[in-house]
Formats: sequence, C-alpha cells, structure tokens
Amino acid sequence: MADFEERRSLLGDEDERFVGDREPQRGAGGTGGTGAMPAICDPRHLLHRVVVLVFMCFLGFGSYFCYDNPAALQTQVLQDLNLNTENFMRLYAWYSWPNVVLCFFGGFLLDRVFGIRFGTIIFSVFVCAGQIVFATGALLNHFWLMEAGRFIFGIGGESLAVAQNTYAVNWFKGKELNLVFGLQLSMARLGSTVNMNIMGWVYNKVAGLVGSPGYTALGGSLMIAAVTCLFSLICALVLAYLDKRAERILQKEQGGTGEVIKLTDVKDFPLTLWLIFIICVCYYVAIFPFIGLGQVFFIEKFNFSPAEARAVNSIVYIISAPASPILGFLVDKTGRNVVWVIIAVTATLAAHMMLAFTFWNPWIAMSLLGVSYSLLACALWPMVAFVVPEHQLGTAYGFMQSIQNLGLALIAMAAGAILDTRGYLVLEVFFCACICMALMAVVMLYFVDYLRGGDLNQSAAARARLQKEATSDAENKRRPTPRPLLDPSVITCPQECFEMMSFIRLPAPPPAL
Amino acid sequence: MAAGTVKTRRTFLVIFLFFSLLFSSSGQSSFTRQLIVQLNPGWSAPAPPGGDLLHIRAVGDNDTLHFLFCSQGAPTLLLVHTNSSSSSVKVDWTPFLARNTTGSLRVEPESSVLSSTALVFSRVGDVHLKSAQTLNPHTQEVNLSLSLSQLLEYDDINDTASMTSDLFPPYELQNLSWSRMNSSDPFAPLCGSVVNSSGSICLQLSAFESEGRGQSWPRLLHTANSSQLGVWLDGVSPRAARSRFMLELQAVGGAYPLSRVDVHRSIDDEFTPSIFKASHWVSSANGSSEVVGFVRWRSVAFRRSKPALEDATPCRNSAPRPQSSEAAASGLIRAFYSNVETFGLNVSFGLAGEPFYNSTRFLSWTLLMGVGSPPVDSFSALVVAVMAVGLGAPVLVLLVGGVWICARKRAMEPTAAYEPIN
Repeated sequence: MADFEERRSLLGDEDERFVGDREPQRGAGGTGGTGAMPAICDPRHLLHRVVVLVFMCFLGFGSYFCYDNPAALQTQVLQDLNLNTENFMRLYAWYSWPNVVLCFFGGFLLDRVFGIRFGTIIFSVFVCAGQIVFATGALLNHFWLMEAGRFIFGIGGESLAVAQNTYAVNWFKGKELNLVFGLQLSMARLGSTVNMNIMGWVYNKVAGLVGSPGYTALGGSLMIAAVTCLFSLICALVLAYLDKRAERILQKEQGGTGEVIKLTDVKDFPLTLWLIFIICVCYYVAIFPFIGLGQVFFIEKFNFSPAEARAVNSIVYIISAPASPILGFLVDKTGRNVVWVIIAVTATLAAHMMLAFTFWNPWIAMSLLGVSYSLLACALWPMVAFVVPEHQLGTAYGFMQSIQNLGLALIAMAAGAILDTRGYLVLEVFFCACICMALMAVVMLYFVDYLRGGDLNQSAAARARLQKEATSDAENKRRPTPRPLLDPSVITCPQECFEMMSFIRLPAPPPAL
Repeated sequence: MAAGTVKTRRTFLVIFLFFSLLFSSSGQSSFTRQLIVQLNPGWSAPAPPGGDLLHIRAVGDNDTLHFLFCSQGAPTLLLVHTNSSSSSVKVDWTPFLARNTTGSLRVEPESSVLSSTALVFSRVGDVHLKSAQTLNPHTQEVNLSLSLSQLLEYDDINDTASMTSDLFPPYELQNLSWSRMNSSDPFAPLCGSVVNSSGSICLQLSAFESEGRGQSWPRLLHTANSSQLGVWLDGVSPRAARSRFMLELQAVGGAYPLSRVDVHRSIDDEFTPSIFKASHWVSSANGSSEVVGFVRWRSVAFRRSKPALEDATPCRNSAPRPQSSEAAASGLIRAFYSNVETFGLNVSFGLAGEPFYNSTRFLSWTLLMGVGSPPVDSFSALVVAVMAVGLGAPVLVLLVGGVWICARKRAMEPTAAYEPIN
C-alpha cells in the first residue's frame, strides 16, 4: 500500500513536471493556440479537472434519481393506476431485463461502436427518453407505455454508469481516481436518497396544482423528475465538448473502457466464482425488491406516516454512502473476506427476521441492513479478482452483473405476486429464504476455499507475507503486488462494485523468469 | 469434536422444535360441533310476516351454541351458549311478531345439566364459571347479540374521511324490505334493497362445525365457537360523488356488556395481506380481563366482490358508547332480553386519500362473533417450514463441511509428515 502511494505521488509529480516542461514549448510554437489560458479552462490544471468532476458527478444523478421513482411513489402509483403489486414490480423488472444482456455489450459499444463521448450522450438520451415515456404513460394512464419507458430507461441506466467511470479513468487515472469514484458514488446515493424523500412532496404539490391526486398528478411529478435526466443529458453534452477540447489541446487518445469480454471464458470459471455468483444473486434480490416494496410495509405494519416510511426506506442508501469507504478500508486491512461476507449475510438475515417477526422499530432493522449491505459489497466484489485471472475479470464482472439483473427481474415479479396473494409476512419469509441460500453458498465457499488453500480467507498479514515472498522471488521490488486494479480498471459492474474499485487488488503475478 | 456433537444436538433440537410446531399447528382443530339448522322454529305457515328467524344449533359434546339470525326489524344475530347439549329454543310467535314482549323467545335448558357445567366452563375459563354461576345458575351462561341498525352516508367533500362532513339522512336498516330466507339454502345472503336505488345491503351468516378459515379475504380464522357475518353494499347509489359510508352496530351482552374494543396488532398478515390489525369488541366479566364473548374483525374492507390487495380499504371504529335500550330496533333483542344494556359503535370505511365509494360502488366487510376468547392467528405451516429449512440448511452445510474437513485433515496428517516440503 505504501509502495503504491509512493508510486502514485511520483507519477503525479512526473506528470506535473512533464506538463510544465511542455508548456513553454507549446506557447512558443502556438500549436494549440491556447497559450495563456486561465486555470479553469486549462485541461492540464486541477481546477479544470474539478469542473469536469462536477459534470461527471451529475452525469449519473438523473438516472439514480429516477431509478427509485416507483418506490418513492409506491402508494400513489398503486392507487392512481389501480395496479396490483405484481404489475408495480414489473416496473423494476423491465429496468433489469435489458441489462441481463447489455452489461456484456455496454463496454464494447462504448469502445468500439460509439466511442466514449458519443456513447455517453446516447445512453443519456436513452435515460432521458425512457423517463419521459414513463411519465407520459402515467399522464395518459397507459401502463404498457410506462413499462416501455422503464425498459428504455434500463437500456441507458447501467451503461451510463460504465460511461461515467470511463470518463473518470480518462481524466483522473493515476491521480485522484479513488476519490473520484467515491464522490461519484456519493452522488449516486444522494440521488437515490433525495428521490426517496422529495417525490412525495413533489406529488402533493402537483396534485394541488391539477386539483386532485390521480394519474395526471403522477405523470406530472414524474415529468418533473425527468428534469434531472435532462440535466444529466446536458452534463453529457458539456462533458463531450470538454473531452473533445482536452483531446485537441493535449493531443491524447480518446479513452476507452479497455474491457475485453469473452463469453467463452465462462467455461473456465472456477467453482468458487460460481459460489460468489450465487451469493451475489441471492443476496441482492432480498435487498432491492424489498426497498421497492418497503414504503407500504412501513406504513401498514409500523403505522409510519408516508414521509417517515420513505425516510426509513432510504436509510440503506444514506448509511452506505459513508459506511462503504470505511468498511472497505477495514476489510482491506484485515483480509478474511469470506468471514466478512458471512457476517454481512447473517446480519442481513437478522434484519429481515426482525422486520418479519417483530414490531421493533424498523429504524433498527433498516440501519443494520444498511451496514450489512455495505459490508457485503466491500467483501464480496473484491473477491472476484482473487479467483479469476486478470484478463477474465471483465467477463466475470459482466457475467455477475448479468445474472444479478436476471435474478432481480425475476424476483421482483415473484415478490409482487407473493405480496398480492400471501402478504408481507410470507414475502419477508421468502426474502429470508433467499438470504439463507446466500448463507449456504458462503459457507460452502468457505469450505471450498479452505480445501484449495484459503486464498480468499487469508488475513491481510498473511497476504502481505506472501506478497513479500513473491516480490523477493521475482526480484522485482519496484512492482507492488498484489497490484491495485487501476489500469484496465473500468469494468462493467453494478453500482456497488464501482464503490469497491479502489479496494480491488489483483493477485500477485507469477514471478518473471 | 466434542463441540461438534453439542452443536449437532442443538441443531437437531431446533429442527425438532420447528417440526413439532409444524405438526401442532396443523393438528389443533379437533374440537367440532354438529350443526342443526331450522328456519322459523315452531312456525307452520309459509312465512311469518315481517321477516324470518333462522336458528342454528351447534351441538358440542357437553354444550350447545344457539345462533339466531333474524330479519324482524334491524337484522340481528343472537348467540346463546348453554351448558347442555340438548337445550332448545322456544318461540311464542304471536308476541314475537308484535315485537314488544320480553320472553317470547327463550332458550330452554334441561334441568339436569348442572353437573356437566364444570367441563363446559373449563373451555371458557374458571373465573367466568364462578361469576356465571352466581349470576345465572341454571340457564345460559353467555349470550350476546349484534344488530346492524343504521347505514350512514356522508359527503366527504374535503377528502378528510372524518364524519364532521355533511351527513345524509341514515338508512334505517329496520325499514328496508329484506329478502326472505330459504329453508333449502339457509346460508344464502339476506339482502335488503335500499330505497330509491337499485342497490342493496346484504348479510351472509356462516356457522362452523370446526376450526378453519373463510374462503375469501379477509379469511378470518374461526372456531366451532363462532359464526361469521359478511356485510356488503352492492350498487347502492351514493347521494354525492364523494360519499363514504359508515355502519352503526349495536351489541347487547346480557350480563356482560360489550363495552370495549381492543386493537390487536399481529405480525401475521398471511391471510389478509398488508393488514396487521384486528379489532376485538369484547364483553368481559366485571373487573376481569377474562373475555366471555367477542366480535372480531380485521381493519379492512374491500371495494370489489372478488377482493384483491389493491381493493383493500382500511376501516376504523369509534369507541363503543352505551345507548338507551329503546334504541335497539331489533325484534329479536326485544323478545329475548328484558333489561338490555346496549353499546353501539360506528365502523367507517376508507381513509383520507382513498378512493370514494363511487369508484366501484361496492364495499364488503366481514366480522366474526363468538363466545370465549377470540381465536388467535398462528404461523401457517408454510412459514414455519420455510424458516425451518432456510435456517436449518446452512447449519447442516456447516456441520457436514466441518466434519468432512476434520476427517480429511486427520486422513492427511500421517502422510503429510513424510511428504517433501516445497
């Protein structure tokens, strides 16, 4: 770690010096025609990068804001459109369906077909158009149009996140990348939280304007939510311009995701990776669909007001924003990822059982859920890098996201149907069963890993010792191992995975001969 | 290894516990009653004027429950619990139809039943046994009646769902013309057509031989000691676009008036999705928490005849208030009780922001009335089984894996000593 810090700072200095050297030359030659630029306009300057960062952060704001619109307006959507819960949950399923396939191609489309700038704009347009179609569907009281809107929104949504990270790497590689990833994620969480807590108020205001609550008011408030997507689209356009301009000035290559996905790699995936997939699917299907359905649960079972219910529903996102970096650091320093995953899954099971079988204040259970959800992300996602070789990492993460989306789409609909016919207790028991499956998989992972030498569950100290041996063997002391995942670092994976990007370490490479 | 066996034992204990729970919950319903249904007992002509009287005798081993359902005046359900398996109902029809003579309907016990009292009472509770004996040593121990007196409608202009809004003249249920009961299908709905409207208000009584659940939501749990009354409004024209309805209920508890409503929260909403509350309107012996009779309902009504979750609408009730005995507009109550202590409450349907009655023009609500304590929901076999398997399986994997690893380690140890270290 210390090695890495040193290298980074060195690299940074080098970079600065390099830029400094070149500046007078270019000024004299006048090739760029931008000799005396103020710092804020100079792509080489930190200040300019900060401006770019602001646009980058808001690039994803719209899609995160609108993703949980249905959850934030659950009662209103159900009532105004006279839906049952199964249909309501189809709004989430339709978001996930395109991503079952797209997460394999998102990176490819960005790299090879559109390029990062055009690709980002296209995905932003999809997000924006999707939300507008969604809102129009509500305005006209056509549910199929709303579903179509969510589908279009889904096409853009996850790919836009990839584009956002590609931009981040492009502008901040070797500099403040971890911080930038962190900021982007905090922005995403902010989007989700603000959405959860503000949409009810927006709906009431719109209902006041149009005279009565109803699908018109719903459509109106969703249209207002679409403004955030429009804003994100503007950010995409500005970023494209700034990136083009920087490319001209710095004469750099257009960045790509650098991701290679080979579906044939799937047959080489080890058993441990499949177990990680099972944990991932079984765990996340008990989190996101629950949040989607949470509002009415808190109102009905715990007598919460709608505003309170939305607040407690958003606590998972609020907690994970600060908890993720802290827990990520903790897991990184201690190692023993499998044990951490076991703890996280058990805590989630406890939280779900609390919600199912007690009347205890849901703030307790939801806070526990928030912490354990963050802990799981911290411990689970970096494990993938330990079990597959680097060149398969993109495929592994892509595959993981694909089946996660498949699971989310199916379970979202199943959860709706269960709620409609058997109620919240059985739904919670169903989620508990999912978590139990995840628990079973992680216990199996522990044993399989144990039999194979226990790479996954090593403590950080053991890892460091191995690392030392590896470096002395390799006689390559300058290269830090395990290396942080920075170079081809943009991988198509969900939000929770990006968060952990800075904690993903590649295992030590084989000693050079 | 020793720790392992302790763990194993504990696990088996847990699994055993779950399964014993599973079987106990399914094997509870052993108590049954035999139902004998009679329409207008003692009346020979085709149909008595003014309404019918349905008598259901639910005969247990040592006791009898008499359910009397009558449409003379406001529709009323009377429940009399006697400690004899051969008690009967006697009706003097002439004063009964005149609706002014107390004692024109009597439940007559055999005189030799006192010895069997204890057994019967044990089902209701000892505390009650004593008080019942002192109060009424030789006849019915528990009786309660429930009548539906008024259907109230108000215009909820500001969508507040509070009754302070404009109240229309109420529909007096005693003035409706009720459909005739039919001896071939005694459990058919009893409908009263509402004046100036094509719609009607209907009631359907169900009595039960054993424990079980209703077929449609709210799927109330019932025992052989209770009967279920479904009430629904179908197609009644609202007098305003934003009308909401309330139902006024009157209950007479004999020696133990139905004076309080307890709201029970339950974590179990399996049979009534997303409804976690039930109201118990109970009659209890003076100063005791012992419940001798109850009217129970889930806090939900449905806006369609084939209910789904999205058609659920919450209902609330006012606190029970004592009412004058003249308020009871029921022929049955006047014929049975001499000095009645009546309590009344309103059940209102819908909350602020909920759709108005006009959206579907249908509203159905179900209650359960019985003696003893209200039945308590327990987890279904499905829930228990899923949790048992869900929690048991990871523990099992942990155990099997642990044992396997230990065995492997042991098998590896001797050979490992001779292997070269690389």
